[in-house]
Amino acid sequence: MMSLRNGAFACIACLGGALANAQGVTLPEYHYVELDNGAVFILHEKRDVPLIGVQALISGGAVTDPESRAGLSNLFASMLEKGAGERNAASFAETVAGVGGSLSASAGLETISISAEFLARDAELVVELLVDMLRAPALDRDEFRKLRDRQIDLLGAAKDGDLRRLTSIYGNAYLFGDHPYGTPIGGNEASLAAISHRDLLTFYDAFVGADRLIISLAGDFDAAEMINTLTEAFVDWRPATEALPDVEAPAPQVGRRVLLVDKPGATQSYFWIGNVGVSVHYPQRAELNIANTLFGGRFTSMLVDEMRTKAGLTYGVRSSLLRPSQPGSFAIVSYTKTDTTVVAIDLAIELLARLRNDGFDDELITSGKNYILGQFPPRLETAEQLANQFAALQAAGLDESFINDYGAAVAGAAGEDIRAVIAEVYPQVDNLVFVIIGDAEQLRDAVAKYGPVTEMPITDPRFRP
Amino acid sequence: MALFAELRRRNVLKVALLYAVACWLTIWFVDVVQAEVSVPAWTNFFTYFVLAAGYPVALWFAWTYEITPGGLKKASDVDQTQSIVYKTGQKLNSAVAVLLVLGVLAVFGQRLLPKFEFLVPGTPEGDAPASAHVPADIRSLTLDNGLKIIVWPDHDIPNVVMYNFVRAGGRNEYPGITGLSHFFEHMMFLGTSNLEPGEFDRTMEAAGGRNNAYTSSDVTVYMDWFPVSALETIFEIEADRFQNLETYADAVQSEREVVYSERRSSVDNDNFSKLAEQMKATAFVAHPYQFPVIGWPSDIESWTEDDLRSYYETYYAPNNRTIVIAGDVTPKRIFGLAEKYFAPMPAQEPPPTVDTVEPPQAGERRIVVGASAQTPLLHIAFHASRAKDPQSLPFSLLLDILADGDSSRLHQLLVEQEGTALSVGAWFDEGFDPGLAYFYLTLPPGADPEKVESQLLDALAHVVAEGVSEAELEKARNIVLADYWRALSTINGKASAIGEFEVFHGNYEALFDLPSRLDAVTVADLQAAAAAVFDTDNMTVGVLRAPDEEGAL
Repeated sequence: MMSLRNGAFACIACLGGALANAQGVTLPEYHYVELDNGAVFILHEKRDVPLIGVQALISGGAVTDPESRAGLSNLFASMLEKGAGERNAASFAETVAGVGGSLSASAGLETISISAEFLARDAELVVELLVDMLRAPALDRDEFRKLRDRQIDLLGAAKDGDLRRLTSIYGNAYLFGDHPYGTPIGGNEASLAAISHRDLLTFYDAFVGADRLIISLAGDFDAAEMINTLTEAFVDWRPATEALPDVEAPAPQVGRRVLLVDKPGATQSYFWIGNVGVSVHYPQRAELNIANTLFGGRFTSMLVDEMRTKAGLTYGVRSSLLRPSQPGSFAIVSYTKTDTTVVAIDLAIELLARLRNDGFDDELITSGKNYILGQFPPRLETAEQLANQFAALQAAGLDESFINDYGAAVAGAAGEDIRAVIAEVYPQVDNLVFVIIGDAEQLRDAVAKYGPVTEMPITDPRFRP
Repeated sequence: MALFAELRRRNVLKVALLYAVACWLTIWFVDVVQAEVSVPAWTNFFTYFVLAAGYPVALWFAWTYEITPGGLKKASDVDQTQSIVYKTGQKLNSAVAVLLVLGVLAVFGQRLLPKFEFLVPGTPEGDAPASAHVPADIRSLTLDNGLKIIVWPDHDIPNVVMYNFVRAGGRNEYPGITGLSHFFEHMMFLGTSNLEPGEFDRTMEAAGGRNNAYTSSDVTVYMDWFPVSALETIFEIEADRFQNLETYADAVQSEREVVYSERRSSVDNDNFSKLAEQMKATAFVAHPYQFPVIGWPSDIESWTEDDLRSYYETYYAPNNRTIVIAGDVTPKRIFGLAEKYFAPMPAQEPPPTVDTVEPPQAGERRIVVGASAQTPLLHIAFHASRAKDPQSLPFSLLLDILADGDSSRLHQLLVEQEGTALSVGAWFDEGFDPGLAYFYLTLPPGADPEKVESQLLDALAHVVAEGVSEAELEKARNIVLADYWRALSTINGKASAIGEFEVFHGNYEALFDLPSRLDAVTVADLQAAAAAVFDTDNMTVGVLRAPDEEGAL
């Protein structure tokens, strides 16, 4: 029966499917308030469960870290959890957990974020904590030293653990080098050690202030009341004193280079093959996402199908796109046992070439579109997700059309445009940066064929030579 | 051209168009009804056949006969000057327009209005929850073959989640087939007698769906996340792989390599898992919880096709599974599809029960694992209780107080005050059989594991002796309550939560008792739970560290 329906009456199925899929997702109504000092509040009432999701962003982030102090903005963010207002570190943590709340602060490449989720009955407390963290962080000297030293040791521990967590940090650091996008967000063992308590205090004055602030709340609360409370709390806050750095577009890699990170005795090699990609403002996002979904963004993608399902070379492989305000990175990221390292990397390169030469046929493109559209609604299902989305759009200088028009753009993307985007965004196989982490003694000679090799031990405190 | 003009004049073309539009509406209607309720497969074909056979008849009729003021007459007998074919043509035009409008309204209406489930009687309604505090729109149904299906409608987003719980995991294995449950999780994506290897995923993703699966010591769980438009496709391919799995030799071999790769990254090259694997193997001497879920390497290499086949027949039978669906659906629609796709699977003999009981531990056990490590690891495990034991809820609250988050007792003591650990956490394996309460610590480089161990044990002894405060209990309650609401804020969380309760507590409705059960827990319950578990005779301690320069640990 399926075949008859799919054949003779295909037009009916198309009509039915298109209506469901072309809808995409429309962001709900929200309140937007901008104070004279530049602070922005975005609020959306959502009352299906008694929760409040909070996302507060401060523009800036790891791109503001001096190279010798990489990790400063992230360390600052973590210190926001170590006491604020009347509460010291212990009582702050006790207050959050005491009501079953979750709260964490961390830096990204271009923002510092505070994410929280609390039961609706604790709405007042959420705002109190938020205001304290931003306006009266303790930034206590002893807590700072303890945290910094612990983070240095934890980086060492991460190198003993599953290296999938570190592969992209090495990759981006080596690709971007001195460019701010090469900054390891969590710092490295040497740069963290160089950060002083004074650096922390200076950072707070220089890079944190009302003109950088976006607070987004979604959930079970009264928006009008919340706007009043937030306005009162932030209306007289100072601006940050130092301008944000002008991040220039990084130069794409021409030719090839290889970084081999030695982990003696490793039975598995981890690799990252990439180049400069696109920014969040790339106009043909729908076409690019379709291409990337089909290349390495889902289980039946070309990379997973060839490298895992058919060749059994790896448990996981993906095609990653980092899209900050300037062009970020594109990379193929995977791992394989030591003696199939070259086989796996050769295959990854071959598949990149195949992507550029052959692209995808119409049937696959339709499948990719359905996949993106089918998986889109659950990404904006909860109050917390909505709060994050509103804040992220505001921080990136994007409007709702980024979400609201996306479904139609995906549904309407043309095959020829997708091919053009592939040719524009994905690097030629002659222009690639390789990072390989593994047992160098067994890999050294074999990987020399990819380009000039630089070697460093995994115990090196930095993430690039 | 003369023939064409005559076809036009006699309205044959308009009749052809009208018929086509009517066919479209009829087929659409049959399709909708079929999606809602279970109808025999031949009804669909019969409809197409009748419609197709009627087409030439209708055209012949239009050509041969003409409507006149005097009634129906043969076209050849009508005086063309008296003909009113143009009027009939206008009526036909109107009919086409009306049908088209109806069709478009119906297609939209189907998306906006409740489904047409009332049209065909006989689809089971399922059982409503017995208890008043359970969301009233949840329904459950057990098919004749023993497969239970629970449905929680939620129309917030046009998506659906399907969880398929199989009561099979590491616990059902024995030496020689360790890791088989997990391997089976991979096999389930590798082809059936109807679908080539890879076709399952390709079909699902092309319909907009995504899937994953996980295996634990107790269960194997398959999850599908998809737009509601893919509902029937998902039922069709899920039923297929649970009934018609094929073990293609090439795919099995290639997948062994994939599982090896998974083992290398998640165990062999990860110090945490390397130690945890040895801990389980030491803490349990009799019960199959001692086996690593991913399997011992030699077993991954050597299980046979017969092992796979018999495992599939025994454990993947409908009477050993439970399905939970949450999202943009009605129970009736789900039960109709379940009758159509899942009911034909035969029940099997229930799997052999796992009767081995771990004997009480009679003294502490210690292991040291050597590995390249900048930071040593310390793990400490105690035998605790089963998911459905009454002491499990107070005990899990106690573990939250001890090790959940920066405000927990052990974090404050070991990480913040003493600085003897970089991090500390704990979990509690709440399964079918008594599982482990497990503390895991990362220590600073060069730290003395014995020192931090004695600090931790002192803290546990203190809880046994003094209990916890009311404020600590209130905090733990709030943490669990907030997690409960977080889970219920997504269709995925809903399906997962009621599935876990159905499988591990024997009743999904028990999930909704959680808030009142939390209220009933007392500090005395926590102290009693601590006393029952935190006994050094019941303890296994493991340290992972780098050998010294002479190679000694």
